[in-house]
Amino acid sequence: MTTVLEFRPDQASSLAGEVMARSGQNLNACYQCRRCASGCPVGEETGYVTPDRLIRMIVLGKREAALDNPLVWKCVSCFTCGTRCPNDIMTARIVDTLKKMAKEAHVPPLSPRVAAFHDSFVAAAKRVGRLNELEFMGRYEWKNTLRSLAKLKFTEVFEEQKNQAGLGLTMLRKGRMHFRIQKIKGKQEFRRLITKGGERARDLSKSPASQE
Amino acid sequence: MELAYYPGCSLKASSEIYDVQCKRVLSAIGINLHELDDWNCCGATSASKMDDFLAIAMPARNLGIADASEYAELVIPCSACYSRMLVAQKVLESNRSLLDEINGELSNKVIGRTRILSILEAIRPVVNSGDLAQRVTRKLEGLKPACYYGCMQTRFPYGVTVPDDVENPQGMETILETLGATPLDWSYKTDCCGASAAVNDNETSITLMSKIMKDAIARQANCFVTTCPLCQLNLDAYQEKVRTTYGIAQSMPVYFITELIGVAVGLPPKDLGVDRHFVDAMVLLRELNLYE
Repeated sequence: MTTVLEFRPDQASSLAGEVMARSGQNLNACYQCRRCASGCPVGEETGYVTPDRLIRMIVLGKREAALDNPLVWKCVSCFTCGTRCPNDIMTARIVDTLKKMAKEAHVPPLSPRVAAFHDSFVAAAKRVGRLNELEFMGRYEWKNTLRSLAKLKFTEVFEEQKNQAGLGLTMLRKGRMHFRIQKIKGKQEFRRLITKGGERARDLSKSPASQE
Repeated sequence: MELAYYPGCSLKASSEIYDVQCKRVLSAIGINLHELDDWNCCGATSASKMDDFLAIAMPARNLGIADASEYAELVIPCSACYSRMLVAQKVLESNRSLLDEINGELSNKVIGRTRILSILEAIRPVVNSGDLAQRVTRKLEGLKPACYYGCMQTRFPYGVTVPDDVENPQGMETILETLGATPLDWSYKTDCCGASAAVNDNETSITLMSKIMKDAIARQANCFVTTCPLCQLNLDAYQEKVRTTYGIAQSMPVYFITELIGVAVGLPPKDLGVDRHFVDAMVLLRELNLYE
C-alpha cells in the first residue's frame, strides 16, 4: 500500500530550516545518491531509516518521524556519511541536532541507555572538570537501574549489574581501574565558562553562526 | 623535539598504560612531552550531542592553556580528544563572536597559534629523518599487524585538514615497517568499533567489532595495532564476547603503537604495561623472541 504524502508547506520549511540552521548542513544539496547509506556501519540496525531517508524526512517536514527514529539513537558518530557525501552533508551532525531537538520537545528517547550515557558523561565532566570513569559509570548505571525499577524489570537490573561487575572485576585485576579522583584546580573558571558563557551562547547555538 | 601534551581523562584512568607509554617511549625516540597545566575534559562526543556550546567551550579552555605555553605544537594521543580539540580550534577560527564569548571567561585566551598533532604526526618526523630506524635494537620480525585507525584519526564532523589518507591511512604502517614488522592491507582499518556503544548499545558494538576481527583474521594478521584508547579498550576488553558471540576461534592482542615502538627500541614490555591487557599481549612477543 502506498502512503499518500500529506504536504504541509509551513511545517516542511520550518523543520528543514531549523535543522539546517542548527546543524549547519545544507539539506537542499542532497540528491539522494545514497553513498551515506551504503557506508553507514549501523545500516543493518536502523531498518528503513538510512541517512539519505532521514534527510528526506526532514525536507518533507515529517517532524515526528525525524525526531523519533532508530538512526537518531543508533548512530555511532563515525562520520563516514559526511566524509563520503559528494555534497559535504554531514548527516552525523544532523543526527546530533535531532537528539537535542528531541530532548527539547520531550520526545522520550528510543534508546534511553544512549541518552543516559551522554547525560551522565557530561554531568560528571562538568562537576570537577575531568571525567572520572567510576563517577560517570555510577551515574549511568544509577539512571538505568532507576528506569528498570520503575518498570518493575528486576531481571534487567540484575543482568546489567552482573555484566558491569564482570567487566569491572577484570579491569581491577588488570590494574586498569582507578579510584584516585581527578579534578582541575581552575574549577571556578571552568564552571563560570560553562554556565555563564553557556547561557549567553544558548541563543547563539540556535543560529548557524556557531556551527561554521 | 619538545611538545606540549594533552593526555585526556582516559589516559589518567582505564588507559593509564598509554599515558606511561607515550611519555617513556616518545622520550626514548627523542620527543619530550610536557603535560598541559591543569587541562580539563574535552567533552568527547557526548558534549556535542548534548550542548553545542559545551562542545566548543570545554576544549577551548585547553586550547587557551596550550596557546599560553612555550610550545608551538600540542600532541593529543586520544582520538576523541584530538578530534574535539581540532574541531574547536577550527570553529573558533571562523566564529569571532563565539571566540570573544569564550575568551571573556578564560584567563588563558585562545589565540589559535598552537598546532595540534595526532600521535602519528608527532612521530612522523622521527621516522622520516631515519632516526627511528637507527634506534631500533630489536626488529619486529614475524609481527603481522592489522593497523586499526578507527573513526577519529581521519574523519571529522567539520572540515579540518586531514593529515593522512581518509579511507586508507598509512601513518601506522610506515612506522611499523621501519620497525621491521609486516603490516597488512585490510578493509576495516577505518571502520567503527562502536566506541561508547560498547557500553550503551553493546550488541551493535559487538557486531561492528566482529566484522573488524573477521577481516583481520582473514588477512592472517597476528595482532591489532591502534592509537586510540577507546578502540584499544573495546577490541581488548570485549574481544572474548565478540569471539563467543560470533564463533571466532582466534584471539588477537591489541597493541598501542607506542608499545611496539617501545619493544623495538629495547624498552622492557612490562615497564610499559603490556602485561596489563585483557587479551594476553605478552605471549606473541615471547613467541617472536621480542623479549626475554
